[in-house]
Amino acid sequence: MHREKWFQVLKPLSARSKLVLGLLSFVLPILIWSIVSYVPFVWHPQIRITDPGSVDYLQVEMRMDKAAFADEVSDALKAHRAPPRGVASNPIYLPAPDEVLRAFYVSFTMPPPTQDGAWLSQALWHSIQIIFWGFVISSIIGVPLGILCGTYGPVARLSEPFIEFFRYLPAPAFGALAVAILGIYDGPKITIIVIGTLFQQVLIIANTTRKLDASLVEAALTLGARNPQLLRRVVVPGVLPDLYRDQRILLGWAWTYLIVAELIGTSSGITWFITQQARYQHFANVYAAIMMIGIIGFGTDIVLAFLAKRFFPWDRSLEKMA
Amino acid sequence: MSRKSTWKIALGVLLALAGVGAGSASAAPLKIGYSDWPGWVAWQVAIDKGWLKQAGLDVQFQWFDYGPSMDAFSAGKLDGDLVTNGDALVTGSGGGKGVMILLTDYSNGNDMIVGAPGIKSLKDLKGKQVGIEIGFVEHLLLLNGLKANGMSDKEIRLVNTPTNNTPQVLASGQVSAIGAWQPNSGMALRTVPGSRPIYTSAQAPGLIYDVLYVTPTSLAAHKVEYIKLAKVWDRVVHYINDPKTEGDAVNIMARRVGLTPAQYKPLLKGTHLIDIAEDQERFKKAPGLSSLYGSSEIANDFDVKNGVYKTPQNVDAYIDPSITDAVK
Repeated sequence: MHREKWFQVLKPLSARSKLVLGLLSFVLPILIWSIVSYVPFVWHPQIRITDPGSVDYLQVEMRMDKAAFADEVSDALKAHRAPPRGVASNPIYLPAPDEVLRAFYVSFTMPPPTQDGAWLSQALWHSIQIIFWGFVISSIIGVPLGILCGTYGPVARLSEPFIEFFRYLPAPAFGALAVAILGIYDGPKITIIVIGTLFQQVLIIANTTRKLDASLVEAALTLGARNPQLLRRVVVPGVLPDLYRDQRILLGWAWTYLIVAELIGTSSGITWFITQQARYQHFANVYAAIMMIGIIGFGTDIVLAFLAKRFFPWDRSLEKMA
Repeated sequence: MSRKSTWKIALGVLLALAGVGAGSASAAPLKIGYSDWPGWVAWQVAIDKGWLKQAGLDVQFQWFDYGPSMDAFSAGKLDGDLVTNGDALVTGSGGGKGVMILLTDYSNGNDMIVGAPGIKSLKDLKGKQVGIEIGFVEHLLLLNGLKANGMSDKEIRLVNTPTNNTPQVLASGQVSAIGAWQPNSGMALRTVPGSRPIYTSAQAPGLIYDVLYVTPTSLAAHKVEYIKLAKVWDRVVHYINDPKTEGDAVNIMARRVGLTPAQYKPLLKGTHLIDIAEDQERFKKAPGLSSLYGSSEIANDFDVKNGVYKTPQNVDAYIDPSITDAVK
């Protein structure tokens, strides 16, 4: 009975169950993470040393496998020496939720490491600017070209085969080249984002444009619309809601290139923070930084989705999505 | 006409973007790349204390990951970069020609071959697998150690492993030893209880020198500045080595890399900083590890033998003692 209610093909959900399920999609992973972190018998394959006892190579805060720890304890007891002591713990790469939360707070309130350094918020802002400019430059070229490709066959044939080829070239591979041409600061980083985004963008937008309802074009032609008019008054407005949605997806795409882009040239932005913390195995900070990126990206997308409803109130596909 | 001017604008933008980075113009500050190694992080002391400005220098130190810093140097975007003497040769063989003008330090224990539990010496590695980044400094260290123990490199099997991943690789139990520098070597020791260093750069001091490597054009144009910079370096070394000021120096350096001073101090201990007086000695031409020349020849042989580059480099052309000699 209940099953039927939940699993009806293509049946829209009520607003309330949508909200509940949406929240659950976040709560469930966090719940699993908490159980693994806080319930000692669930995983905890290692021992975190609190007192090295008589074992010379152990240090406080060191982690070792349970079996090896048990051996050391029994050896020490047999020899009537002080046994090491420790508590069950997870490996260092899985910090508990509260540690990550604390790292989240601490990393924002921690002053810059050096006088010439940046606050984390400044580093984050720098990353956002890299994304912004990379995406803007990509869109200035990609959106018009994509629409033209989708509208006019010759343009598509002239550009798409090459773009299809180029999109397989991995953007990070252009790193050293970009540095050689554009220097060590933001130029090469923005370039990587553009290379990573642009070629997908043209193809996706061209495809979206091709899906425009043919009857709209026919109707316009019957009414005597000419070529430039047709493009400006029919094609572009016709695909605009879909184009907006494509851009939202592509913006997410641009974010995924951020880390490789920022590794090029001088260390900067959120990537500097992540790589530096990972080098010293401060994984709580690494998770915190990854979450910051997630929150910013997801937050932007929610705002854009909300704006979409304002911009395109007639677009019915929005109801299905949100 | 209008098309022409569009081209001009485009060209202008390109030139502006490309030209700004090139440090060849004399008015622009000197740009030097530095990365996470105690002997280089030491410059942070001069930066934070304002000693560069005091010396009348306009030098920008740019923080990099080590690999990208060499890319930027090769691309001509930096006046100088802090690298190992071996990597200076590798960079130079690939077109990033430069000159080593100042020794900052040599590794004195920070580079290690770490044996898994039960492996107590290099001899125990006979017939076993070792995780190492082939063609890089730890590989050189391992070969040097094997030679010192009367072994040949045929007696072990190498597994090419990025240095950053060596702690996890040792922990996986799939190799009997790894080679890494700090902080990775320390992480490996802490990640795998019972593991121990079986050969370190302290047993081959001078095998791995760290140097300031600058472009010949920048050196020719800024000789006076580089001499001043060498003097600042001397001040940094004495500030760090003086027990009275060591604490302050360690604070500055630990902050730069995000560690506590207590965590940072052991890393500093594995690095032998070189002041100008010692620099002048080590810049004298001699065979063996006590001279930069001798050490670089060994690295040169190693690189050719391991196919890092094909033609042996002329080591003399890579070394210029004139800067340190000019400091009195």
